[in-house]
Amino acid sequence: MISRLQHTLRRLRRQPGYRRSINRLRGGIHPPENKTQSLQQPIVSPPLPPRLVLPLLQHIGPPLRPCVQIGERVQKGQVIATGDHGIVARLAMHAPTSGTIAAIGDTPVSHPSGLPDQSITLIPDGEDTWHPDCLQGLQNPFEHEPEDLLERIAAAGIVGLGGAGFPTAIKLAASAQGAIDTLLINAAECEPYIAADEALMSERAAEIVMGIRLLKHIVQPRHCVIATEDSKPAAVAAILAATAGTDIEPVIIPGRYPSGGEKQLISIVTGKEVPRGGRPADIGILCSNVGTAYAVHRAITLGMPLLSRITTVTGTALQQPRNIEALIGTPADYLLQFCGLRPSELHRLIVGGPMMGFTAHQLDTPIIKTSNCLIAATRTELPPLPPEQDCIRCGLCVQACPVGLLPQLLLVASKTSDHELALKQGLPDCIECGACSYVCPSHIPLVQYYRAEKGEMRERGEKRKRATHWERRYEEHRQRVAARAAEQQARRERLVKAPVPPSAAEVGYWTPPTDTPPADTPVATGNTQVIDPQRAKAEIEAAVRRVQERKRARQQAIPDSRDLTPGDGEQPP
Amino acid sequence: MMLAVNSSPHTLRSGSVTRVMLLVLLACVPAWLTFTWFFGWGLTINIVIGTCTALLLEGIVMRLRSLPVLPCLRDSSAIVTAVLLAFATPPGAPWWIPVLGASLAVIVGKQAYGGLGHNLFNPAMVGYFALLTAFPLHMTGWNIPGAQSINGVPIDPLTLQGLLISLSVTFPFLPFEPPRGLDVAVDGFSAATPLLFYKLAAQSSLLEQWQSGGALFERSAETGWEMVGIAFALGGLFLLWKRVITWHIPLSIIATVLALSCAFYFLVPGSQAIYGSPILHLFGTATMIGAFLIATDPVSAPSSSAGKLLYGVLIGVLIYSIRVWGSYLDSVGIAVILANAASPLFDMLFRQRLYGERHGWQRLLPGRKAGRNRQ
Repeated sequence: MISRLQHTLRRLRRQPGYRRSINRLRGGIHPPENKTQSLQQPIVSPPLPPRLVLPLLQHIGPPLRPCVQIGERVQKGQVIATGDHGIVARLAMHAPTSGTIAAIGDTPVSHPSGLPDQSITLIPDGEDTWHPDCLQGLQNPFEHEPEDLLERIAAAGIVGLGGAGFPTAIKLAASAQGAIDTLLINAAECEPYIAADEALMSERAAEIVMGIRLLKHIVQPRHCVIATEDSKPAAVAAILAATAGTDIEPVIIPGRYPSGGEKQLISIVTGKEVPRGGRPADIGILCSNVGTAYAVHRAITLGMPLLSRITTVTGTALQQPRNIEALIGTPADYLLQFCGLRPSELHRLIVGGPMMGFTAHQLDTPIIKTSNCLIAATRTELPPLPPEQDCIRCGLCVQACPVGLLPQLLLVASKTSDHELALKQGLPDCIECGACSYVCPSHIPLVQYYRAEKGEMRERGEKRKRATHWERRYEEHRQRVAARAAEQQARRERLVKAPVPPSAAEVGYWTPPTDTPPADTPVATGNTQVIDPQRAKAEIEAAVRRVQERKRARQQAIPDSRDLTPGDGEQPP
Repeated sequence: MMLAVNSSPHTLRSGSVTRVMLLVLLACVPAWLTFTWFFGWGLTINIVIGTCTALLLEGIVMRLRSLPVLPCLRDSSAIVTAVLLAFATPPGAPWWIPVLGASLAVIVGKQAYGGLGHNLFNPAMVGYFALLTAFPLHMTGWNIPGAQSINGVPIDPLTLQGLLISLSVTFPFLPFEPPRGLDVAVDGFSAATPLLFYKLAAQSSLLEQWQSGGALFERSAETGWEMVGIAFALGGLFLLWKRVITWHIPLSIIATVLALSCAFYFLVPGSQAIYGSPILHLFGTATMIGAFLIATDPVSAPSSSAGKLLYGVLIGVLIYSIRVWGSYLDSVGIAVILANAASPLFDMLFRQRLYGERHGWQRLLPGRKAGRNRQ
C-alpha cells in the first residue's frame, strides 16, 4: 500500500524510478511473428536500380505537380514535384539520385487497385551527385523557431512513414504549442513479418532519439513516450540505452496484434481513449512513427530530404530476407532479385504486412514513402484462403476485435446491405486490422465484406450529398425564374400605363395599344423611346455585347464538373 | 507471371468449425463417463442411435437442398446436437424416442431454418421439448441406479448383463431373453429424477455422503446426479479455458439460480421442504449442462456481453421459477428455448462499448459529449 503510494507520488512528480502503468489491449491476437528471418543481417543499401518510378501520390491528399520536364537532368535531392494547396501546400518530392527524367505519365503504382497512376520515371546516371541545396543541416536546431523547422520538414517531403502517409508538417502544425500533453512515438510495429522499425531502432537509436528531441522542440509536449513491444529485445535494449538520461520515457508493452494501431497504442500507454470520430489531439496526444522521427532528424540536422526508407523484404520465396534501405521509387522486383528471389516459388507479393497489406498486381510496383514491407510468399507460406462457410456466431471475432465491435452482426449488415444496422453497430469505427478474419473458424473474409459495405455507405452518402446539392441548385433556379418573371410583369405593367410619345406613332414603329395586351405577348422593352433607327441599332448592338459578356462571365463561373461539393464554384448566373 | 490477388488479411489461424465442435464433444466426455458409471449403458445407446439418425438425416436434407453434403457432415455439429439431446433423454427409453428426437432436432430445429448458424432455437432443445410435450411418460421415466435387481440382488449396470438389459429395454424386439426374474416393463424399474422423487425436499445426497465420509462414487449412494452435474461443470471450465465459450452466460445463469434458491431456501421461513436446497438446484438438476453446454450455444445466444449477461439472468429466472412453481419436471430446456426467442431482441438492444465511447455508467452522468461528431 505504502509502496503503491510512493509510486503514485513519484509518478505525479515525474521522478525517475516510476513506471508508467500499461493498460491491456482490448481484444487482439497473437499471429506468428516471422520477423527474425529478415533480422539475421544488418540493414543494407542495394546498388542503384536501373530505373526509379516516383508516383506523384505517396501520401494522403491531392497528388503533387511535377516541376521538371521530360529529358531534364536532375541531381540527387533536387525537387521534382511540389504540392500547391491544402494539406500538401509545402510538401515536396525529390529525386532520390542524380539522373535524367525519362517519362512523366501513367505507370503501375503501389495501390491495392493495381491501376496505373501519374508518376515520374527517373533513369539514374550512376554518379549520385547531390544538389547544392542539400546537406545544409542546422548546427543548432534547438535555437531555431518551430515554424522554421516545420518549413524544413515539409520541404524535405516527410510524411508519416508508419503507413498512413499524412504530411508530418501539417500534423505537427495542427497541434498548437502547449496543447499536446503527450508526444507518443509509435515503435510497436506489431504486424507479423514487418521488421523495418525494429532494424532501424537496433542500429540507429541515437539518431531516432535526436529526431524525437526535434519533434519535442516543435510540439513542446509535457511528456514524451516511446513505446515498443517486448518481442524485440535488441531494439528495446538500444532504445533503453539511447534514451537514458533524456526525458524521453521508454515504455515496453506486451507484444500483441494490433497494439501498434494509433488509437490502440494510445489507450495502452495512456489509458485514455480517443473519442469516437475525434483525433488524438483532442485528448492532448500526438502520435508519430519512429521512422518519421528518424527522417526528421535527417532532414533538419543533416539537411537530407526523404530519399529512402527502410523496407523489410522477406518471404520464403527469397533466399536471403533482409531489411533494406531502399530509395523511394525502387521497383519491387529489383529488391526481390537483390534478396535472391526464386521466381518459380513466388505465389503472391504482399505490399505491407500479412494482416493489413495488399497484394501487388505487378512485380515492378515501386517502393513509396509508406511501403514498410514486401512479402514474397510461397504457396505453402500463405496458402489461398479456404472456402467460406456459414457463420456459427461463435464469438471468437468479438473476443479478437480491438474496437469492441460485434463482427458477426456487422457481417449480417454487410451481406444484406443494411446500412442502418451497420451504422448502429459502428461499422465506420472498424480499423480493418483483420483480427476477426484471422480467428474466424468458418474462414469468412470479414474485412472484405466490411470494406464493400463501407464503400457502399460512402457512395450512398455522396449520392445523398450530391442530391441535396442539386436540389438546392434547382430551388434557387426556380426562385430566380420566378423573380425574373415577376420583374418582367412589373415592367410590362409600368409600360402599359406609361403614355406613348406621339412621335412614335408618327414614325410608325409603335402603335399604342387600345386595350391591355395579352400577358404572354412578348413586349419589346427598350424600344418605346426609339425614334431614330441609328440610335436603335446602336442600342441593339450594345445589348448584344452585354449579353455576350454576361455569357462569358457565366461560363467562367461554371464549376468543375467533377467537383460537386456544395459551396464550391457557386455563382448565380 | 500471375500473382495471386486477394483482400487482406492474407493469413489465417488454423481453426475450424470442426475444431470448435470437437472441443464441445470433448467437454461432454467427463459427464458421459460419470453418467455411464452411475447409470449404465443407456446413455451410450441413446448417443449412438441419435448420432446415426442425425448424421443420416442431415446428409439427406443437404442432398435435398442441393448443397455439399460432406463439408456439412464433417463440421460435426449434428453430432453435438445428438449428444446433447441424448443427455436429456432418459436412458432406457424405447429406440424410437432418440430417433424421433434427433430427427426433429436436425430437420425442424436446424435445417428448416437454413442449417448451421441460422437456427433461432437450440436444435437439441427443440427436439427435447417436442418429445417432452408429445411423450411425457417416456421422457420422465429415468433409470435410477440400483433399481435393477434380480431377486433382490442388484445388477451391476456395467457388466454384459447390464448392457443386455439396457439393449433389451431400448429395442424390445431384439431376440435377447430378458433376465429371468426381472420385470422389464418400463414403468417397473424406472424412477424419477431426484427432483420429482423428493419433490424438491431432498437433502443433497452428495453433501450427506461427503459429511458421512466418502462413498461418493458408490452407485447405491445416489450421488450420481450431483456427480454428473459436477462433471458438466468441469467440461464447461475446459471450454472456458479453450475460449470456446465466454464466462458471461454460465456465470449469470449459475449466479441467478444460486441467488434465487438461496433467497427462497434460507429467507422464507418454513419453506425448506418446498423450495429445495441450493446445492440440489445447482448440481442435482440439469442446471450445469444448461449453463455450460446448452445456453452457451452461440448460434441461438446474443452476441454482446451485456446481452449475454441478461440472457443468462433470464434463463436463470426461468429455470428456477418453472422448476419450483411450474408443472414440468425440469425446466432447463424450456427456459433455454424461451430465452432463445428473446435473443434477437437482446442483439437489437445491446451493443458493446466501442473504442472511444463512454462507459455505460458514464453515459448516465451529465457531462461532456464523448465524440466530436457522433453518428
